[in-house]
Amino acid sequence: MMNDIVLYIGIAAAVLGVGSFLWSRISTKKTLDRVEELIDKAIDGDTFQESFSEERTSRLETKLTEYLRASGVSALNVKNERDKIKTLIADISHQTKTPIANLVLHSELLKESDLNPEQEECVDAVLRESDKLRFLIDALVKLSRLENGILSLNPAKESVSSIVTEVAAEMNSKADKKGLYIKTDLPDGDVSASLDRKWTAEALINIVDNAVKYTQTGGITLSVKDYEMFACITVKDTGIGIAEEDIPKIFGRFNRLESSRNEEGVGIGLYLAREIVKLEGGYMKVSSKLGEGSEFAVFLKK
Amino acid sequence: MNILEAKGLKKIYGEGENKVNALRGVDLEVKKGEFVAIVGTSGSGKSTLLHMLGGLDRPTEGEVIIEQKDISKLKDEEVTIFRRRKIGFIFQAFNLVPVLNVYENIVLPIELDGAKIDKDFVEEIINTLGLSGKKEALPNQLSGGQQQRVAIARALAFRPAIILADEPTGNLDSKTGQDVLSLLKVSAEKFSQTIVMITHNDEIAQLADRIIRIEDGCIVSKGEGR
Repeated sequence: MMNDIVLYIGIAAAVLGVGSFLWSRISTKKTLDRVEELIDKAIDGDTFQESFSEERTSRLETKLTEYLRASGVSALNVKNERDKIKTLIADISHQTKTPIANLVLHSELLKESDLNPEQEECVDAVLRESDKLRFLIDALVKLSRLENGILSLNPAKESVSSIVTEVAAEMNSKADKKGLYIKTDLPDGDVSASLDRKWTAEALINIVDNAVKYTQTGGITLSVKDYEMFACITVKDTGIGIAEEDIPKIFGRFNRLESSRNEEGVGIGLYLAREIVKLEGGYMKVSSKLGEGSEFAVFLKK
Repeated sequence: MNILEAKGLKKIYGEGENKVNALRGVDLEVKKGEFVAIVGTSGSGKSTLLHMLGGLDRPTEGEVIIEQKDISKLKDEEVTIFRRRKIGFIFQAFNLVPVLNVYENIVLPIELDGAKIDKDFVEEIINTLGLSGKKEALPNQLSGGQQQRVAIARALAFRPAIILADEPTGNLDSKTGQDVLSLLKVSAEKFSQTIVMITHNDEIAQLADRIIRIEDGCIVSKGEGR
């Protein structure tokens, strides 16, 4: 009799144990499922808190909602910051134009008057530096607008060959002054890619300008290659070339190589070019050897 | 932040007279979002290194740390799961499943893991890689370049911590290879994907942000970020 009771109690305890174990597993699974559902909804950007209770999952929902609301507020703050930058850039761009133009104008006027050679040298330096300043502000304003997404590119299907022809024509006089040639090597039939005409031309001009700067004899060849998914524009020069360890540096902002110290320039052109190409969904590649010229390739997505 | 780190990696194959020191103490770091090329001639140890980094083989000595986790200390099954979730592979042979169509091949790793498929993201990848018209096609109906593009899409689709590519253009003609590499480059940038690619070809390596050179089981140059 006593043994039976012990047995029953034992069985009851075992059943209870297994039952509570199963119950806790089921409830854990339920909680985890609910949490997963919440997170999925949060990822999809849905609002999800529909009811409130004393459960922990409900408290979690409230916290998650609060967190998402806070992120919303910080997104707004970011937008405000960006608007401020926008205004600042617009101010810089506008307000510096007149003083620089005046600087150039007055130095040119000064140059026309009777000057001794020493004074003339000074005026030339002022003119050169003003020009550099104008280019610099221009490039920085462009860059900053691109980087902050204030100015967006509008890539559309455009002819690559026609842009290359245009850029070659535009840079011809500058190359000619140095006694360099500019050749184009275009494939039969037109190659088109997704690009923003104005900005792609800007990028290419910067690359070609750079090539002209660092080439003393020979010239620059612009060619177009057609791939299944990409169009590639290469700018090949017969200039001084770049050592392998210096290649990573050339795209740096204001990063100029030792070998280029005596050339005019501010060290922003290639960086700007690369940013533009990147925003168009393409990329740039360089191959070069010291003394054997360089080749810049711009890959644009079709 | 370093997403991948190797510390004092050594790999010795064989014993006694047949002993081969494939890696002789390699240290390297890869930052999040970097595109790194490891360049070396055949026999330099670059494939061995890639296998260690991907948890396909265990180092004799040293650590491989991916997202702060030392994978050389994990158990075999744990490594398998870790690899499936965190590492994307792109091989010379495209390794697509022949009976599955393009879309199914791309989402296969996600499905194997029982995770939810982010349809918009997958769709974006498919568009970026120019495969939107080919979703229903079977691998054998595609050109080599297209097959490799599917393999890239598959590697990108589950947002791995890192993609390891082993001579990804080895089986393609140079023109198609250039195209595929370009896609790898722009999609890495677009999706902020970290990539480590090994190659023997200097021209191909130029595309990376940084070039690491390996000779005879040792790193001889770590390069600079571009």
